[in-house]
Amino acid sequence: MTTTLNINGATVSVDVDPETPLLWVLRDTLGLTGSKYSCGIGLCGSCRVLLDQRVVSACRLKVADAAGHAIMTIEGLSESAAQHPLLQAWESLQVPQCGYCQSGQIITAYALLQTHPNPSDQQIDDAMSGVLCRCGSYPRIKTAIREAARQLSAQEPRQ
Amino acid sequence: MTAFRPDRRRFLKITAASLGSGLTLGICWSELSADPASAAGDFQPNAWLHIDPQGLATLYVAESEMGQGVYTALPMLIAEELEIDWRRVQVTHASLDPAYGFQGTGGSRSIRKAWKTLREAGAIARHMLISAAARQLGVAEEACFARESRVIHRPSQRALGYAELVDQASRLPLPERVNLKSADEYTLIGTPVPRTDLPGKIDGSAQFGIDLRLPGQLYASIRQSPVFGGRARSFNADSVRKLPGVVDCFALDEGVVVVAYSTWQAFQARKALQIGWSEGTQPGLDNDQVLKQLSDALESSTGKTILQRDAPSADPGPKSLRIERQYALPFQAHMTPEPMNCTVHMDGQTIRIWAPTQSPSSARSSAIAALRSLGGDWALESEEALESRIEVNTTLLGGGFGRRILQDYVTQGVKIAARFKQPVQLVWPRDEDLQHDYYHPFTLHKMSGELDDQGLPHAWRHRIAGLKADHYGADELPYDIPRVQVELQRLDTPIPIGPWRSVTHHYHTFAIEHFFDELARAGGHDPLQLRLKLLNQPRLKRALEIAAESTDWARQDDQRHLGCAVHSSFGSHVAEIVELQGTGNQRRLAKVTCVVDCGQVVNPDILKAQMEGAIVFGLSAAMKAPITLARGRVTQSNFHDYPILRFHETPDIEVIIVPSHEDPGGAGEPGVPPLAPALANALLAETGRTGGGLPLDW
Repeated sequence: MTTTLNINGATVSVDVDPETPLLWVLRDTLGLTGSKYSCGIGLCGSCRVLLDQRVVSACRLKVADAAGHAIMTIEGLSESAAQHPLLQAWESLQVPQCGYCQSGQIITAYALLQTHPNPSDQQIDDAMSGVLCRCGSYPRIKTAIREAARQLSAQEPRQ
Repeated sequence: MTAFRPDRRRFLKITAASLGSGLTLGICWSELSADPASAAGDFQPNAWLHIDPQGLATLYVAESEMGQGVYTALPMLIAEELEIDWRRVQVTHASLDPAYGFQGTGGSRSIRKAWKTLREAGAIARHMLISAAARQLGVAEEACFARESRVIHRPSQRALGYAELVDQASRLPLPERVNLKSADEYTLIGTPVPRTDLPGKIDGSAQFGIDLRLPGQLYASIRQSPVFGGRARSFNADSVRKLPGVVDCFALDEGVVVVAYSTWQAFQARKALQIGWSEGTQPGLDNDQVLKQLSDALESSTGKTILQRDAPSADPGPKSLRIERQYALPFQAHMTPEPMNCTVHMDGQTIRIWAPTQSPSSARSSAIAALRSLGGDWALESEEALESRIEVNTTLLGGGFGRRILQDYVTQGVKIAARFKQPVQLVWPRDEDLQHDYYHPFTLHKMSGELDDQGLPHAWRHRIAGLKADHYGADELPYDIPRVQVELQRLDTPIPIGPWRSVTHHYHTFAIEHFFDELARAGGHDPLQLRLKLLNQPRLKRALEIAAESTDWARQDDQRHLGCAVHSSFGSHVAEIVELQGTGNQRRLAKVTCVVDCGQVVNPDILKAQMEGAIVFGLSAAMKAPITLARGRVTQSNFHDYPILRFHETPDIEVIIVPSHEDPGGAGEPGVPPLAPALANALLAETGRTGGGLPLDW
């Protein structure tokens, strides 16, 4: 069965079982391997993508339910938002170690800053507690989000 | 600056057609090949430095990048001596050559084994480039120096770029004598150079083993016996083969395999498997049995003595006190974020393996054993013949922590791919990964100590029983205690056991450092002050002094409780202090301060990241539910019942590096061992309650 998806601004049609989780359509059908498989049941956050700017676990979302929505993966984010202070802070603070969970971390932090450009520590905690990192990059993630928020507020046009 | 003579057993100018033209230096850091008895003819390089005609230097190594920064730190060593823009040095993973000897990444070893040899390699290449320049300019070598990929003739300031010199340099013999920088001349070593592997880990393009996508690739998954040692006796192959996308379904010794056109189809088919298992030799094995096995061992036998001191001590006096404790340290899993996987293509003569492995050597030998076990033509081929047909490509690793030193997923990947012309990627789902790990072992520690009239320990006994436990970390005690007896019983088990970040140091250090606090408190001493009084390892003592000062140790009250622990491992010395704020239900893990002396630091930012990571890793093991066994199998299946530390639970972490020019120690593991006892000691300070091991009663 053919499903039409909007991924990273492009329209693509895939011929897969509509029950297939979006994650495996991204990874196996479309070759977008930046979204990672780790737990498969929505517990770890490594597969997170944006669906109409909301964070979702791609391993729990049926591809049929993703149709008609704007999907953004790390590949799309890093291209369309390459100059975003978040990605620059990720680089300057040298956040990743093994790097496997980082697309989920970046997608989640990006969504946080879209809704809360200057998040409180509590808002950062609430947003990020759902993405697991075995290497322990958490302290640098926190610093990077704060740094990006500082940059964003400095960029805002003065009233 | 110091001069050295290039050792012909370690360096050889070679011609490697596969690397193209340019200057190529074969480098050998294997201790085996460096045997003084071996002649230059036996030279077996395990790394190559190649400088191409454009002046780009490439280091070919078989080290694995698993987040520890080795793809950055190794080229830094070369670039320092080569006087090349460090961004003009890259690391490429060498495909495995049988001549290498063992190649593996573990034991916090990479920098330690490469430290001297790679700097020497860079210096030799620099010397040859200078010689070439001196000849071209018709000047004396001594009048020339190298800087930023150029050789400059000092008196005339004439300069030639490396690209112009490589060809001639490649025709010169190895120099007889080469200068090596001293520490105060370093311009790169010791600086926080950004990691070379990060851009792809931020934009999503980094390729881990599981990300490999080859034309026509098939996807496999496996279900192994939930009970250790079990075998599949029957399974519903016919109905599973009819499921969407399934290509085949068959049994191996290790379990039942499904192969499909996508990972999801393979996972769905695996779920539909109905398997009758024969349940191995110990189908009833559970945690109680393990604990009883270890307790019985400690009751009935003394074990092997691994440390003994019998210094005459003064009469302890009439008020001497004896303290006894027992600590149980549970099984832990690695929980690498990237589950076990391997991709193999066996079309034609070459057997290509792509694996996120910590040991391409072991991957190759596992592949050979797997092929020979298939019988038929495979068994007729000699090991050497098979060896020459196997190509192991190491991808980036989504976490290692010791798990990927074992190669079970490679064995399976090869056996599966042998049935297909197409490449096959085997992926274990998370439950398979968690239930078929090589676990950090269960260990039991009986401690007893005697205090004299002044409350000072004068006798220490540590008796250990553990599943495949080893002595490292328990065979030294850094404290001046006159009578010491440490005994180890290593018990066999059907449960798979393997190395886990810091290996044996994790469990031994918990017992030693937590018991030390019990003794200090029983004797009426401040645990940190007593450590400073008794520590006989000066670098460890210095680290603890710095930690005490940084955390303002003396400033403790009923809302601020500190716990400290120290340990030396893998050539490095670490002190950690855990700070708790509030008490009981209001308690908060506020901060961990880590002071590390690992000798000369190559990249301080990577070192700090490793310490941060080690602390978070240690906190998961200290605070979260462990792996347990019931009915011969692992009970846990995913992150909900084997949780790891989360973002909001992570304390502030401060890493302080002790400046040093001693030879480097390891970085990946030494931060783990002091964490759990430091946290236990902080809890002891707050509650006064004696704990029984891990996880801590938080």
